[in-house]
Formats: sequence, C-alpha cells, structure tokens
Amino acid sequence: MNDLIRQAIAAEAEERVDSRTVLAELHKRKKRRKPLGLIVGVATLTAAAAAAAVIIPTAIKKTDAAPAAPPPPASPQNVLLIGIDDNNNTDALVFARFGGDGSVNAVSLPRDIQIGNDRINALFREDPKKLTTAVERLTATKVDHYAAIKMAEFGRIAEVVGGVEVCVVAATKDLETEAFFPSGRQTLTGDQALAFLRQRKGLEMGDFDRVKRHQAFLTGLAAKITKSNALPLAREISTTIKVDAGWDVLEFAQRFQGPVKILTATLPVSDPAVVTNGAGLVADPEQAKQFVEYQFAGKARPQDGCVR
Amino acid sequence: MGFDQFVTDRLDRLLRYATAITCDKHLAQDIVQNVLLRAQSKWDRIGAMDAPYLYVKRMVTNDYLSWRHRKAAREIAVERGELARHVPSMADPADAHAEREAMRARIAVLPRKQRAALVLRFYEDCSDTEIAQVLGCTESTVRSQLSRALQTLRAHEIARSATLGVHS
Repeated sequence: MNDLIRQAIAAEAEERVDSRTVLAELHKRKKRRKPLGLIVGVATLTAAAAAAAVIIPTAIKKTDAAPAAPPPPASPQNVLLIGIDDNNNTDALVFARFGGDGSVNAVSLPRDIQIGNDRINALFREDPKKLTTAVERLTATKVDHYAAIKMAEFGRIAEVVGGVEVCVVAATKDLETEAFFPSGRQTLTGDQALAFLRQRKGLEMGDFDRVKRHQAFLTGLAAKITKSNALPLAREISTTIKVDAGWDVLEFAQRFQGPVKILTATLPVSDPAVVTNGAGLVADPEQAKQFVEYQFAGKARPQDGCVR
Repeated sequence: MGFDQFVTDRLDRLLRYATAITCDKHLAQDIVQNVLLRAQSKWDRIGAMDAPYLYVKRMVTNDYLSWRHRKAAREIAVERGELARHVPSMADPADAHAEREAMRARIAVLPRKQRAALVLRFYEDCSDTEIAQVLGCTESTVRSQLSRALQTLRAHEIARSATLGVHS
C-alpha cells in the first residue's frame, strides 16, 4: 500500500501551478510593496548611520537653519549626522555621502578637532549653521543636510532591533557606568549599548576608540534592521531627531533601491596622543579634503574587525 | 544562501509539497506566495540557518494548518469526498491509474494534519524528527498521526476491494 500512497501523493503534487507564474506574481507583489517598506527601511537605516531621515514627516521637528538648498533629486547627498548628549554637546560626528545607488560612505570626524577658538563639538549647540560651515571649510565638501539625534536614544534603538552585535578585542570595564564588555562577539542592548557608545575613559586611544565603537555599532545596527522592525524603530527616534528645515526627507529616502551598505573611516588628524592633555586636534584641510574625496568615492575598504 | 537563489532552487519543490498537502493547487499557490514574501522580509535570519528549506516548509505547513484555511480545506475535502465515492464504481481495479486516483481521493479527505504528516513521510522522505519539527509537535504525535492515517487508508482499501470483489 505504501507504494500506492507514494504514487498518489506524487500525482497530487504534480498538479502544482507553474513556478514561473508564481515567480511573476512574487515579483509584482514585491514591487508593489516596495515604496512603503523601502522608505521605512531606508529612512531607518539612515538613522542607523547615526541619525538621519525618518519617514513620518509630521513627526519630524524641523529646526530653522538650513545649510544649503537641496540639490537635484537622485544625485548623491552629503549629510552630516550628529550624535548629541543631553546638553546638546556633540558626542559623535559622522559626515556621510548617500549615493544614488543606496551606498553610504561615512567619515567620522573626531569631536576634538580644533576650529578657530572652538572645538568642533561645541559648534552645534551654538548654531547648527556654524557646524556645517566648519565641516564644509575643513573638508572642502558641501554639506547638503544635517540630522541630529540624542545618543541616549541608541540604547532603546538597540532594544527595538533585538540587540546589536559588536566585537570587542579585549575585555574592558567602564569605571563610570560599571559596564563590563568581555572580549569577543557580543550582543548589546539598552544601557549596555549606551555605555558601549559612551565609554571613552579606560580606552587606550580615548575618543578615537570610541569613534571606532560608534562605527562598529552602526555597522552592526544596519545589519539588524528589517522591514518588520523599521517602523517601530522610526517611531522610536522620530520624536527626538532634528533635521534642517530645507530637507525633504521622504524624497531623500526614495532614492534607495536596495539594501544599504555602509563603509566607515575616521578623518586623519594630528597626533592622537594630545587628545588627553587638553589641546584640540589639528586636521590638515588639504589632507582632509583628499581623505573625504577618497572615502566618498567609495574607495575605502570595509572595516568589520573588532574594536577596543 | 541568498533569497533569490533559494527561490530558484526550491520554488517548484515547495509548490509540489504545498499542492500535495492542500490538494488544491490554487490554495497552494496562495500559501507559497504569501510565505515567500514573509520569508523574504526576514531572510537575514532564515538564510543563515542550517536548513532554510525545512524552515520555509514549516511556514507553509503552519499557514495551511492555521484557522485561516480551515474553511477552504473543508470545502476541498467535501469535493474530493464526492469524487472518492464515484471513483471506485468507475474504476477497473486492474487499472493502476484508477487505483492511484482512488488513493489520491482517500488521502484528500484525511484530516489536514494527518495528511501533512503523510506527505512529509512519503513524498518528502522526512524522518520522524524532521516531521515533528515541521509540524511543531512531538515525535510520538507524529507516529500516532501517521498510524491513524495509514489505518484509515487501509480500512478504505479493504472496503473497496471487498466492494469490487477483489482479493488483495
């Protein structure tokens, strides 16, 4: 009887519809679904790159200072992503080029770079326009838009995506927050994620190591964003993110046609050792211009190694 | 494995499997399409598994066994039941094709879960462990589902042979 059962089931299975019909249907439905999913997904990824676009335009708090008029659609856009602490001091500064093809090439700017009499991290609080102008002068590259988000949000963001995986070279303990990070791969969430992003003391290279941590975290976060968590994530950050008034975020998000690939690097500056003795870092404009040009052209190699 | 590659490799097999458990190619198509769209959105996770096919097959099976398709499944069963009643009288028992069609009709009227277990065993060649994973139950439940399905089919087989005056 078993053979008969086999034959009967095989005959039933043989009745299936042509897989090409299903493929065509899948393709059609995928396309139809694309707009919302992609706008949500991409907008959130952008946010992942340290806080950029959020879909729900009504939820976006626009600030007054727009650095520049928007360029024509579909051209690459240079966005300054600003991570701020609770007092509007800049904790993280990422200058990123969002390509028309959905790629993101990002350069972290160390927050202790000296600009005139100020550190670069004090400029945003004074006037966002001051910061964007300083970055434009330093890198000889136009800042099309900026987006600022409170670093404190990242603990919750990590929670929403179910944790962000990073790799730590050697076990460290943050004496301020008591957070302990064992060596190797680990998944961070909530306060632990926040402590990871904030720790500067106790790291060999201070803020430089922290910048590396930010980059590792963003890369890990980008990998965790899916269509299903994109919307909750967008809701999470939409109340605190600030973008310049001239930025049509929806239009911006529509440029992306697929998964977003992020490449990160850190702007070279004068001897990092001076970071601890109070003097600001010097970034050579000529070198900065070349570095940003090189990185924005997508020539940098991906960094996915472990951080301190 | 990427999602597109998975679809290229497995779509036909998934459709065959879904058609075999649902006994309705259109319902099977709907289920497979919906499941693949859902699977695509979390492919990062599924694609990294040891056995993505087994997982997707589980999604297909769960979808079919869920309340959503209870009504459709019942209608198909009724329709096939009608057919089953007519097949024996029309069939020449010596005709292998008729034999097979009669068995097909009898499988179609089995309870959904029993049929799924049967297809997994006799069409997908799954072990008890794999069937338990796909159906989301214990291995002993798998064994009891299978033995009940076989018992029913055997009873029918005997009844039919008797009606037709055949000694099997």
